[in-house]
Amino acid sequence: MLAEFGFGVLLISFITTIYSGVAAFYGAQNKSGSLVESARRAQLLTFPLLSISAGVLIYMLVNSHFNVAFVYEVTSKSMPTYLKVTAWWGGQAGSLMFWAWLLAAFTSAVTLRKWDRDIEFLPWVIIVSAVTLTFFIGMNLFFENPFTRFWQINGQVIPSMFSPAAGAELFTPQDGNGLNPLLRHPGMVIHPPMLYLGFVSFVVPYAFAIAALITGRTDDRWTRITRRWTLWAWLFLSLGLVLGGRWAYDVLGWGGYWGWDPVEIAAFMPWLTGTAFLHSVMIQEKRGMLKQWNMVLIILTYALVIFGTFLTRSGVLSSVHAFANSPIGPFFMGYVALTLIVSVALLIKRWPELRGETEMKSLLSREALFLFNNLLFMGILIVCFWGVISPLASELFTNTKITVGPPYYERATGPLFAGLLFLMAVAPLSAWGHSTVQTLGKALWKSAAVAAVVTVLSAIFYTQNGYALLGFFLIALVISATTHEFWRGTNARMHVQKENFFTAIGRLMGRNKRRYGGYIIHISMALMAIGILGIEIFQMETQGTIASGESLDLADYRVEYRELASWDDRGAAVNYTRSVVDIYENGIYIGQLYPRIDYYYDSQQNMTIPGQHATLKDDLYILLVDWQPVSSEGATFKVYVNPLVNWLWIGSFTFLFGLIFAAWPDKDPADEPVRRKVSAGSRQTSAAD
Amino acid sequence: MTETNAPQKRSVPLWAQVTIWVVLVGLLALVGFGLNRASNPMAEIGKPVPDFDLVYFEGYEYNETKEMKLSDLQGKIVVINIWASWCKPCEQEAPDLEEAWQLYKDSDDVVFIGVDYVDTPEGAFGYLKKFGISFPNAPDLQSNISSILNRQMGVPETYLIDREGVLRQIKIGPFSSVAEIQAFIANAE
Repeated sequence: MLAEFGFGVLLISFITTIYSGVAAFYGAQNKSGSLVESARRAQLLTFPLLSISAGVLIYMLVNSHFNVAFVYEVTSKSMPTYLKVTAWWGGQAGSLMFWAWLLAAFTSAVTLRKWDRDIEFLPWVIIVSAVTLTFFIGMNLFFENPFTRFWQINGQVIPSMFSPAAGAELFTPQDGNGLNPLLRHPGMVIHPPMLYLGFVSFVVPYAFAIAALITGRTDDRWTRITRRWTLWAWLFLSLGLVLGGRWAYDVLGWGGYWGWDPVEIAAFMPWLTGTAFLHSVMIQEKRGMLKQWNMVLIILTYALVIFGTFLTRSGVLSSVHAFANSPIGPFFMGYVALTLIVSVALLIKRWPELRGETEMKSLLSREALFLFNNLLFMGILIVCFWGVISPLASELFTNTKITVGPPYYERATGPLFAGLLFLMAVAPLSAWGHSTVQTLGKALWKSAAVAAVVTVLSAIFYTQNGYALLGFFLIALVISATTHEFWRGTNARMHVQKENFFTAIGRLMGRNKRRYGGYIIHISMALMAIGILGIEIFQMETQGTIASGESLDLADYRVEYRELASWDDRGAAVNYTRSVVDIYENGIYIGQLYPRIDYYYDSQQNMTIPGQHATLKDDLYILLVDWQPVSSEGATFKVYVNPLVNWLWIGSFTFLFGLIFAAWPDKDPADEPVRRKVSAGSRQTSAAD
Repeated sequence: MTETNAPQKRSVPLWAQVTIWVVLVGLLALVGFGLNRASNPMAEIGKPVPDFDLVYFEGYEYNETKEMKLSDLQGKIVVINIWASWCKPCEQEAPDLEEAWQLYKDSDDVVFIGVDYVDTPEGAFGYLKKFGISFPNAPDLQSNISSILNRQMGVPETYLIDREGVLRQIKIGPFSSVAEIQAFIANAE
């Protein structure tokens, strides 16, 4: 009964969405404000409808309705309630529904804004949203229905939404499969939703871009409206990537955070174009240039979101993240094709109208450096794209699948990332319009001197590795140049406005949140780069089987095995094997760690939980690999020392802070939706607010 | 801020349009092809594995030959382990695999074959030496084997082929003990 209800509501939301798209189209064609308004309201209705349907699914997940195939696949009785809720996005059908639900939330929210200045965009934004939403709900309805139930007939169990044949009876398994234990980590609870939020929220800028292309209103209005949306989308996407990295580091049990897996790259590619877009859109706002390029970037970002999702979910690519082969492939492919073809056709049509208002004056001006930054991002994108697509291409032309591994990506993107770091240091110091080698050199030489000193010190005290030293130089350059920017602005305020240091820096940053938030992000990137260099270049590891009282040595650490215990937690259906090791650094006792292995009976999978000792200098990371079950006398440990890796996580935190700071709403009313009631036609009101 | 160059209303040249569409359609065709491939798996559980051949790494041999053909191994249980030197989970199972091989190697009934997936020779040799792997190992040149076996998720993956050459089981991810490997192989009986 419940399943039918949930399915019914899903069907109604599907029809409502189609209606809103069609009504918006006819409304736009016939200039009918009331039709468009009707479309808008239908659009608003999709969110509560999908929420009800999702609520039903969650209710069934929490209450173990194993009659429903999806509930059976992703939950089991022994799972705690919060995991049963988050199991919603633990499988294909549920996570597609989750997508649709988020999408409805975003598109409804955007239709709630005050439209009067931009009413011509409204129907087209609704259409783009409706098409996307129709597609996602359609996948749920026709291919991956989360409400499909088990039916029993002649001793056979068949999954089907409705009774497959006369005499078929509902079948309810005793217990469910249970969620993959790897996904039972708190990081996994937040990582997918963040990533999906990032993906989904790029729909909004894309919808506005398409609306601008269709209506021919190709000034920078669309970028101003969507500026903040884009920042939030980027925030969620970044957060999703970072959380994924942290999850891999903690859970996957191999001391890594990024494996250049096709699905990781699929999420990384829209991040690259999105980042490029965030930079180049500033040039459009300040200088009226790069309009064409910005359109290309936003379309590319959205296309990569859809394309990446498609690659992951259709079984085209093999990856640790991939969902099992699924029937959605051809349908999804059709949608990808539709998106690309329509976007490109519109772009070609409006191309001449998107020409810039000014031309580039100097190769060292800020806009030129931003353009270089964009080129580097595109370079990384091409490397990634080729890596993802090459197995398909090689299979087509040579009949063998050539897959590229991490070494390819590392070698190809390394220099590009270094170039980005360099630009990160230099570009903020250059002037809009015109800069020369002299002006830039004058602004930069102090920071360069600081960076040189840091490099020399690292060479003396830390490492002679050339790549690492180059990396440290660039990182120090970014940090010192950016800090210098903060200091210059603050210092000026202290002198001119006679403010104390804290007022000065507070007001400086508050007056230009995007700029200074951006600088915090730059510094964070440099901090993260320290961690990445550390783990990539200096990681050390050893493995050994040791008896109680024996020890393993690695770098400055000694790991001494004490004891091991194994017990069952009947309630949670998990077996824990927990070892106790003493840790010494340079011979001094610093504490105990407890690397363990959890075995999940329901899904018959192991999960390795490392013991970690984290400091700014390095991370000691110990995995319990194996043990002798009879005597508990010996155990095998794998020990990693990951130098500097914690800067990666510290940088992630400051990154998040900088991003929220940059995206925080301004009091400046010009770019805000007008919340006050304004009478029709009073277009100046908001500006005078 | 000088406003130079009034926007010129020149449309995108035809050759550029053609290029864009050709690239776009080509890309879509490529993906469509991949999709088509993915929905026609080559090896399936319960079905015979298509024949393939391998040339072992320098220093490895089995039955005094330096190369193998899957069909020559009929009558034996074949365990194909796909690994890579950059794959951390593979390192987790490598010692267990070697230990398990020691249990079977004299019986002449079970063959282990390591297949190195997308790797550099230096990396591969370092890995084999580090874990003292003695069962025959070969590079998966041009990812031929992986595509025949329809490699599913990521490395490591292990495939169990029975005496009749039929694929019996696939293990995705690393084994965590020798006992698990033994239980896995027992499925071929």
